[in-house]
Amino acid sequence: MNHEEICAKIKDMLVENLRIPAEELEYTSELFGDDIGLDSIDSIEIIAGIDNLFGVQMTGAARENFQTVETLANYVENNQ
Amino acid sequence: MSKRVVVTGLGLVCALGENTEQCWNAAVNGVSGIRPVKSVNAEGCYANLGAEVDTPNEKLSDEDYDRSSLLCIKAAGEALADSGFEVTPENSGRIGVIIGNCVGGAVSIDKYYTAKQNGGGKNTDVLKMPAAALANNVAYHFGLNGTTANIVNACAAGTISLGYAADLIRSGKADAFVAGGSDSFSSLAFAGFHALHALDENACSPFNRSSGITLGEGAGILIIESYEHAKARGAKIYCEVLGSGVSSDAHHITAPRPDGQGQMLAITRAIENSGLSANDIDYINAHGTGTAKNDEAEFLSLHTLFDENDHLSVSSTKSMTGHCLGAAGSIEAVFTVKAVCEGVVPPTIGYTDENLQALKEKAGNIDFVPNSKRVKDIKFAASNSFAFGGNNASIVFAKEPRDIPDRTNNERIFVTGIGELIGKPTVEISGDDYKEHGIKMAFYRKLDRFSQLQLISGMRALKDADITISEENETDIGIVVGTADGPLTEVYNFQKTVCESGTAAGSAFSFPNTVYNAAGGYFSIFAGIKGYNVTNANSIQAGLQSLCYAADVIRNGDESIMIATGTDENTEVTGYLYDTLGLLESGKLGEGSVSIVLESETSANKRGAKKYAELVGWASAHKSVEFGKLKGSEDALKEAILKACENAGIKPDDIDILCGFKNGTPAVDEIQDKIYGELFGGKVVQEIKAERDDFSVEARAAGAAAAAANWARLLSKPAASGKYALVTSFGVGGQYSAVVLKKVD
Repeated sequence: MNHEEICAKIKDMLVENLRIPAEELEYTSELFGDDIGLDSIDSIEIIAGIDNLFGVQMTGAARENFQTVETLANYVENNQ
Repeated sequence: MSKRVVVTGLGLVCALGENTEQCWNAAVNGVSGIRPVKSVNAEGCYANLGAEVDTPNEKLSDEDYDRSSLLCIKAAGEALADSGFEVTPENSGRIGVIIGNCVGGAVSIDKYYTAKQNGGGKNTDVLKMPAAALANNVAYHFGLNGTTANIVNACAAGTISLGYAADLIRSGKADAFVAGGSDSFSSLAFAGFHALHALDENACSPFNRSSGITLGEGAGILIIESYEHAKARGAKIYCEVLGSGVSSDAHHITAPRPDGQGQMLAITRAIENSGLSANDIDYINAHGTGTAKNDEAEFLSLHTLFDENDHLSVSSTKSMTGHCLGAAGSIEAVFTVKAVCEGVVPPTIGYTDENLQALKEKAGNIDFVPNSKRVKDIKFAASNSFAFGGNNASIVFAKEPRDIPDRTNNERIFVTGIGELIGKPTVEISGDDYKEHGIKMAFYRKLDRFSQLQLISGMRALKDADITISEENETDIGIVVGTADGPLTEVYNFQKTVCESGTAAGSAFSFPNTVYNAAGGYFSIFAGIKGYNVTNANSIQAGLQSLCYAADVIRNGDESIMIATGTDENTEVTGYLYDTLGLLESGKLGEGSVSIVLESETSANKRGAKKYAELVGWASAHKSVEFGKLKGSEDALKEAILKACENAGIKPDDIDILCGFKNGTPAVDEIQDKIYGELFGGKVVQEIKAERDDFSVEARAAGAAAAAANWARLLSKPAASGKYALVTSFGVGGQYSAVVLKKVD
C-alpha cells in the first residue's frame, strides 16, 4: 500500500467513524485544531480505527502523530 | 404551607441482595457485590468486573419482559407489599408509575441481534427494546392506572423520577407513585464505558483511587405518597420527601463541569426547595462513581458548599453496588431513607491504610465514612446523581415532618416560541440549517440523527421566541424532551457492532449518543441552558406529555421558561423495527422534532415576547393495557381530556377547535372516534396531516408536539375562529395526554 492509499483509507475511516463531512477533510486539515475540532473521545476512536485497518498500535503515540491524515499515514508507514 | 409527601414503601434488588433488608445489611457492613461479570463476554477487554444480580429472569417475575422491567417488577412488588397498598379497581387510578432508566431494552436488542445472526430472532424481543415499555410493564403487571413516565436521563434518571413524583403529588395531580429506577447489566453499557476507558480494572474506588467505574444492575423503588393519603389508609411512614433540584451543566456530553457549577446548582436547589441550608444536612449519598473527573468535580462541589458544616457524612454505596446507571439514584435513595430511619451511614469501601492517610489530607471537615459504617442521628439527608448530557439531580429526605416553602407559581403560561423540523418520510438537514444558528461542524458531526433533529428544532424555537441565553437567564430556562423511540438507531447500530465484533469493539464515538437524554444534553450544551433538563420516553404521546411536564415545572416555580419538545427519527432501523413489530407500517412513519417555548406571564411580558396562545389546561392519564396495545384503555383518553378541561376551567362543550390523532390504524382510530363521540358529539375533528402536506401519517412524538404547535400558531392569527383548542395524543400501553390552548385575550 502506498502513502496515497493509506491516506485514503484513513480519510474514509474518519469520515465513516467520526461523521466528518468528506468534502471538509483534506489530508492536511488540522484534525484537533480549528479545522475539524476533534477531541479526546475521537482520538480513542482513531486509535481503534488505525489498529483495525493496519494492525498498528497508536496507544501512547506522541500527540504530533495525530495532527493530520498525513501524519497518521506517516506513523502507519513507519510502524507497519 | 406545602403539602407533605412521605415514603411509605421500599423495594430493592441489586448485587447486594434480593430485597431491601438483605441489601441494607450488606451495605452497612461494607460487603461488596462486585465480581467477575457473567452476563457479558469481557474477552479482549482490559476490565472484567461488575455487580450483577444473581437471580435469573424467570425468578424475578413470571412475565416475559426485558430484564430491566423484570428487575423493576421485583423491586416494585416488594415496595407495594411493604407499603400495605392493596391495589383494587377503586384505587388503582390513584397510584401512578414513574421509572428512571438508562439503557432501555439493550439486553433484548443484544439477544435479538445475536439470534438474528444465527438465523433466528424473535419478534417479541423487538417490543422489549424501547425504554418506553418499562413504566407501562410495571403498571400493567400490578394493575396500576395512575399516570406513567419513563425518565431516561441516564445516571440521574432514578433521582429525577423521585423528585418528579413528589412534585406531582405536591401539586395535587396524584396521590401516590411507584417511583424509582431500574437498569439491567448490558453489553451496551459495558462496551461503551470500556471504549471510553472509564471502567476500573479493579473494583471501583470512589473518592479514593478514582480510576474508573464498575457497572452494576438492579432496581430501587420507593412508594411516594401524599401524607393525607398515607394517613387515611393507616400506612407506615418511613420519612418525609422534601425538595429536589435538577440542573444542566451545559458543558460536555460525557464529562462533568470541572468547576462543579451544575452539580452545586442541583444540590443548592434541593436544599433551598426544602427550606434548609447547607449546614442542616447530616448525610449525603454521593454520586461517587469513581471516575477521576466525577470525583474531582464532586469533591470540589461538596467542599465548596459544605465546608462550614461540621456534622456532614458523605459516602458512595457504588463502591458495593457498582454503578447501576438509571437505577443508581433510586437504589441510593432507598439507602438514604434507610440511613435516616436507622441512624446509620453505610460506608464507602476499598480504602487501604495508605488510602486512609491520603483521605485525611483531602477530606477537610467532611466525614467520608471509609470502610466502616457510622452510627449517628440523621435528621436531613440528600442523595446526588449526575449524568451524561450534563444532567444533575439531588433530593432531600427528612426524619421529621417539616414545612417546606410553597413556591407555586400560579401565573398564566404562554406559548412564546415554536421551532419545527418535520419531514415526510424524513427531514432533509443541510449545512445551512446548522449555519443559521452558528453550529460548527466540530459540534454537529458528533450528533446522531435524533440529536440533530432536537438541536435544530430547539435552536429554531429559541430564535422564534427571541430568547438569547445569557448569565442572567441561563438557569431560569429548562428543557423537556418527549420521545417514543429515542436514539434507537444509534443504540441498535452500536449493539450490532458489539454482537458482530465483540465487547471490546464498542465505539467511544457513538456510545454517548446511545443514552436517550443525549439529544437534550447536546441542546443544553450548545444553547447554554443550565436549568431543568429531562427526557421522557413514553410512546407517541410523550411529545404532548412534554408540554404537561414543562407546564408543571413552571407551576412548581422551578423555571420561568421551558422548552417542551417531541422528537423522533425515521431511519432504516426504525422502519425495520416497526415493520417487524407489525404495530404500524413503516411507510406511515415520519420524523422530526418540534420544540415549543412555554413561558410564565411575567417573563413573557418583561421581554415583550409575542404570544401564540395561552396554555390553560394540561393533563395525562393512563389505563393499563399491555405495552404495544391500546384496546381497553379509552377511559384514560376521556380522563385526560376531562382533567385538562377542568384544569382550564372549561367544559368539553367550550372547545371550539378539536384536534385528533388518528393514524389509520383501527385500534387507534376507534378509540378517538368513541371518546370524541361521547364527549363532543358530531363536532368536526381536525387533523394535522390533513392541514399540512409535509406531514406523514405518524411522526410519533414529533407529530404530537407539532399538533400543539400548529394550533397555537393558528390561534394567534387574527382570523382564527374560536377561542379554545384541544390537542390530544395516545401512547401504546394506554397512556394519553391532552392540552387546552386558548386564544390570547
